[in-house]
Amino acid sequence: MITRTERDIALACLDFAREAGAQGARITLNKSIEDLIATLDGEVDKVTRCADRSLSIALFVDGSYGSFSVNKMDPESLRDFIFKAAETVRMLAPDPCRVLPDPERCCKTAREGTEMDIYDPAREAVSPDERREAALAAAVTPRCSGKALEPALSCGHEGMRLVSEEGEYSDSVFDTLVVDSQGLECRHTETSFDYGVEVTVEDPEGNKYSDYWWTSSPRRSDFDASDCGAEAIRRACAQAGSSPAPSGKYNMVISRDMASRLVTPLLNALNGYSIQQGNSFLVGSEGKQLFCPGLGIMDEPWRKGEAGSKLFDGEGVATCEAPIIENGTVKRFFINSYMAGKLGMAPTVEDAIRPRVLPWPAPGLDADTLMRECGDGILVTDFNGGNCNMTTGDFSYGISGQLFRDGKSVRPVSEMLITGNFLELWKHLLAAGSDYRPCATKLVGSLAFSAVDFSG
Amino acid sequence: MNNNMDIFGVDTAGLRNIVAEGLKGGSWCDLYFEQTVYNDLLLRDGIVASGGFHLDYGCGVRVLDGEKTGYAYSESTEMPALMDAARAAAAIAGKAGTFGTAAPVCPPEIDIVRQAWDSATKKELAAWLERLEAAIRAREHRTVKVIALLSWSQSDIMMYNSLDSLTSDSRPLGNVTVTVIFSDGRRTEQRNVSRSHRCGREMLSDGLLEALADEAVAGLDDSFAARRPKGGRMPVVMAAGASGILLHEAMGHAFEADFNRKGQSIFCDKMGRRICRRGINILDDATIPGNRGSLRIDDEGVPGQKTYMVQDGVLTSYLHDRISAGWYGVPPTGNGRRESFRYNPIPRMRATYMESGTDGTLQDLISSVRKGIYVDKFANGEVKIGEGDFTFYVNRGYLIENGRLTMPVKDINIIGNGPQALADIEAVAGDLKIDDGTWTCGKEQSAAVSCGIPSVLIKNLTVGGE
Repeated sequence: MITRTERDIALACLDFAREAGAQGARITLNKSIEDLIATLDGEVDKVTRCADRSLSIALFVDGSYGSFSVNKMDPESLRDFIFKAAETVRMLAPDPCRVLPDPERCCKTAREGTEMDIYDPAREAVSPDERREAALAAAVTPRCSGKALEPALSCGHEGMRLVSEEGEYSDSVFDTLVVDSQGLECRHTETSFDYGVEVTVEDPEGNKYSDYWWTSSPRRSDFDASDCGAEAIRRACAQAGSSPAPSGKYNMVISRDMASRLVTPLLNALNGYSIQQGNSFLVGSEGKQLFCPGLGIMDEPWRKGEAGSKLFDGEGVATCEAPIIENGTVKRFFINSYMAGKLGMAPTVEDAIRPRVLPWPAPGLDADTLMRECGDGILVTDFNGGNCNMTTGDFSYGISGQLFRDGKSVRPVSEMLITGNFLELWKHLLAAGSDYRPCATKLVGSLAFSAVDFSG
Repeated sequence: MNNNMDIFGVDTAGLRNIVAEGLKGGSWCDLYFEQTVYNDLLLRDGIVASGGFHLDYGCGVRVLDGEKTGYAYSESTEMPALMDAARAAAAIAGKAGTFGTAAPVCPPEIDIVRQAWDSATKKELAAWLERLEAAIRAREHRTVKVIALLSWSQSDIMMYNSLDSLTSDSRPLGNVTVTVIFSDGRRTEQRNVSRSHRCGREMLSDGLLEALADEAVAGLDDSFAARRPKGGRMPVVMAAGASGILLHEAMGHAFEADFNRKGQSIFCDKMGRRICRRGINILDDATIPGNRGSLRIDDEGVPGQKTYMVQDGVLTSYLHDRISAGWYGVPPTGNGRRESFRYNPIPRMRATYMESGTDGTLQDLISSVRKGIYVDKFANGEVKIGEGDFTFYVNRGYLIENGRLTMPVKDINIIGNGPQALADIEAVAGDLKIDDGTWTCGKEQSAAVSCGIPSVLIKNLTVGGE
């Protein structure tokens, strides 16, 4: 991927920055190739080849800072670009907090890029015909067209038919090299084999329901999209005949494929920028038990062979395996070098790399067992819009899913909203499942909460 | 007009050769050259200490075989790289095509730059941001933090296709987004205000500065006092302007022709049918001068135009790119848009709005509601195309009780069903307003859009709450 010549260009940019008067510089070279085959109703609909290469340049000049990017890579124009960039930086206000990270904190173990074992050289050998075959083989239309969906797909609803199936197979390679003027050099290379499919089904009355399913793997040998289309159809059909349930407080089980939506605002609220600007509902929360004692979130970026693993962050700082929230207590903010200076806090990595919600109160729980434990409630299987006020933690999201009684689904619900506050919601955590999808970058299993406000 | 060939270092013979290579794999081939320079300056903690510029350059090659697409791009515009991209796009491997001819394209004038952005120094531009912060702090002593981002870009575009049609465009876009954190000692509030226009640095007027500062602090006491309402189904009065998000999410996406061509949209069998009451007209418009969603020419070389989707309550047109227009046998509507040369064009909205109605004023609409909700500030929205279920997030509103605004409310999502919401529009005031915020649509790719609406009363939507 990144060639010796391209590495030399990145290093030359450090020299150009020095010539232009920069006291510090960081160059990030990103390169990627993606081949994509999209299908529509079981036929090839789109063939795409993407090849990207760009340089991101952070300059520290006379106490000021600027960030720049460019995708023209010839050395002469890069030199002009960087000199112009340095001139721009000089016009900005000085900010003593803008510094490169301490070299002692930086990654020294990512020299080749393949250390995390998520680069599969087999991608190089995938032929255009094999890509077409992979995309077409995953399509479910040939099994379903021209007839009512079989009961195994229609969730027992009669007369359902498939209206549309859009699938997308892709394989890609991403390569990143980070170098800085303090001698940092680290590299990360990964491959990804992906398939996603969106289906629309129709009931005999003409009502349409759509849903999506996907899979991803860093290794070709582990890639299996054979059930994606069927799963998407099952999910769409499960919504047939849906309507709102009455407004009120319910137990909520949220399925594993949607649960990260409730974790992301917590992680965002722990980010140094949000903390420093005061637009975080977790300002001043470090060391305090704010959530249910059963809530634990670990950052686990060092799992070899697993998607999302990485040895360094955007500044080149070495990642580490560490608790983010432990026993309901906030253990860690995400503070980059800049925010460390602003906040007077010790720096960490700049973001959660591969967070995992720990199973609680016992391992082995999934959405079905959580529904049984809850007895009655609403299983959320999809979100529709919504947002969170990061300053207060107040949220409101559109949802659809299944009303359940005695641990079993009784009917689909849609056009409903959940509304609350994240600090309160996570105090009401009942259980965290261990059924997370390994292909996801946030490892969150199904979750159960009590006393959630639903509007319908 | 300069056709931008000098920027991309190509000539007409070269363009023709590339397209000829693409035509080996399909009946249509087009090229989309782009150079975008994006600049930004960020004010935080009282100083403008962060900024930069970003250059993105390349060319996308598209080959069509009927509705099937082959697409590839190159970040180099050297002939060998472009020929490689054409061969990759031709891998869609349909029946080979030939060149045709087209009438000259006559696009409207919609973005006039009076003062080039680079006619001011970064220091001068930074000073405007600092004045903006001072104006906000002068208005409101509870201001804790002001984060203001000024960004401006210039995209130079050149398109060539197998109709031997060469078109070019230069697209300016200026944006100001401001986040303000307020505290009364007990509670914290956040406000976001923004403006976006296709224009030059004349955008940064004293008038804009004052308007942003006013808007940032308006109704702050009510925001501190705002609570969650009791949730459920109720009438909703939507204020003129940003409430146009309703049209974007609930109707606009479902009118995009790709969703209809594939049978996915809830409106796919409703062309020519009444979908809301008489007198309602809904448009998608590329011709509003200076508007964020306006385009002289779309990303397939089709002139910008005004497209009525609903006329007098009847669905009259979808939003088309060339593919869907060919499939439906209608002229393209200039809605073929793409995020950059890295993406193939698809049908996208531009400025989507409803024309003014004749049902009086906003106050008349509020007075007609016994118990409901009034909303006027929004964040984001979403729609499920098949089901037609849409949502949008309300930053600010008020309860309506016995025809009067009472308790302030905030941070609630509202959900409804597109066709039902259209049918449930009971009143449309005569106060159309186009919102000039930094609206960005995220359908597969990012696209600058805008929206507008007169004040409307919808009989029944579900409001999130306790």
